Amino acid sequence: MTRREIHVEEELTALLDGALEPARRAEVEAHLAGCAGCRAGRDSLAAALATIGTLPPPAPPLPGFEQRFYARLAREAPRRRSLLERLGARPLRWLVPATGLAAALAVGIWVRQDRQRADLEMARHLDLLENYVEVASLDLVETPEDLDVVVHLDEIREGHP
Amino acid sequence: MAPDPDAALMVAFQGGDEAAFRALFEKHGRATMAFCQRFVKDAARAEELTQDVFLKLHTGADRYQPSARFTTFLYRIATNHCLNEVRRGEYRARPEIDPDSEDGSPLDPDALAGPAATPEEEARGNALSRDVEAMLSRLPESQRAAFVLARFEGLPYEEIALVLGTTVPSVKSLVHRATVSAARALESWSGEGAEA
Repeated sequence: MTRREIHVEEELTALLDGALEPARRAEVEAHLAGCAGCRAGRDSLAAALATIGTLPPPAPPLPGFEQRFYARLAREAPRRRSLLERLGARPLRWLVPATGLAAALAVGIWVRQDRQRADLEMARHLDLLENYVEVASLDLVETPEDLDVVVHLDEIREGHP
Repeated sequence: MAPDPDAALMVAFQGGDEAAFRALFEKHGRATMAFCQRFVKDAARAEELTQDVFLKLHTGADRYQPSARFTTFLYRIATNHCLNEVRRGEYRARPEIDPDSEDGSPLDPDALAGPAATPEEEARGNALSRDVEAMLSRLPESQRAAFVLARFEGLPYEEIALVLGTTVPSVKSLVHRATVSAARALESWSGEGAEA
């Protein structure tokens, strides 16, 4: 296969998705007209897309989907906002390199506040441990819901696209 | 760009309008759950992930900039959350039952019936779903995310790039490599699919 063919092969999915610029599309189609190998590759990808198109849709939620969310929202949202505001008001040092210290503090938090085992499992991840260190030092984590905010803090604080 | 009505709702929510947030959930909640189901098999867990995503949206609403499409913002949160879930595995697997809700019964996957199908169609759909799930689980996570966004959500490459925080050429490559993997994994379905 020539270098040009490799380049065309890389663009076959984009061709099928209609994502190529018109000029490039014309080039790729011209290549396909004279290359049985690339045509076979295109046909294989097209067959896969057709198969995927026959997948049944995911199961819908059970009745009460909205009500279950609103109930959870009412329980957790005030606490989450409050914690985030308190975190935002403090000078945060999120990158703490001392893993051992982090683990010790995480376990300490768990023992002191009698957390569920799942929370300790969460603490296995270094990035979470770092968050635990910082938040524990600020003495802000009081409930499992707080932990959830901490675990996902980077996502919550993430900027817009 | 045409005005984004969802962005207007999000701005209204930023101003304190809780009804606007509920309107967003009612419009996008179920689609978000379907998206989450491409990452986790369990319907109850997918619902919980959906709740997590909208809780994050609720808590982090002030991070939203109206210059971005709301769905791009939502997909970004949902993608990150689902990929984190895949990394974490099943450590959090637990029933999320709200005793105060109007429907506080445990979620029963067997009760999640899809549209009516013959037994043969149902068996075929289940088998294909399993093969696709297995294929997705083997993909590197960036390919998996790009593939799901392209194939199941129908997002154009430009929007996928915004969701994943990467470039369009990178998305093109991710989607292509994932589609090549899908073609290999689903090869045995191709003839059958053409006949279906």
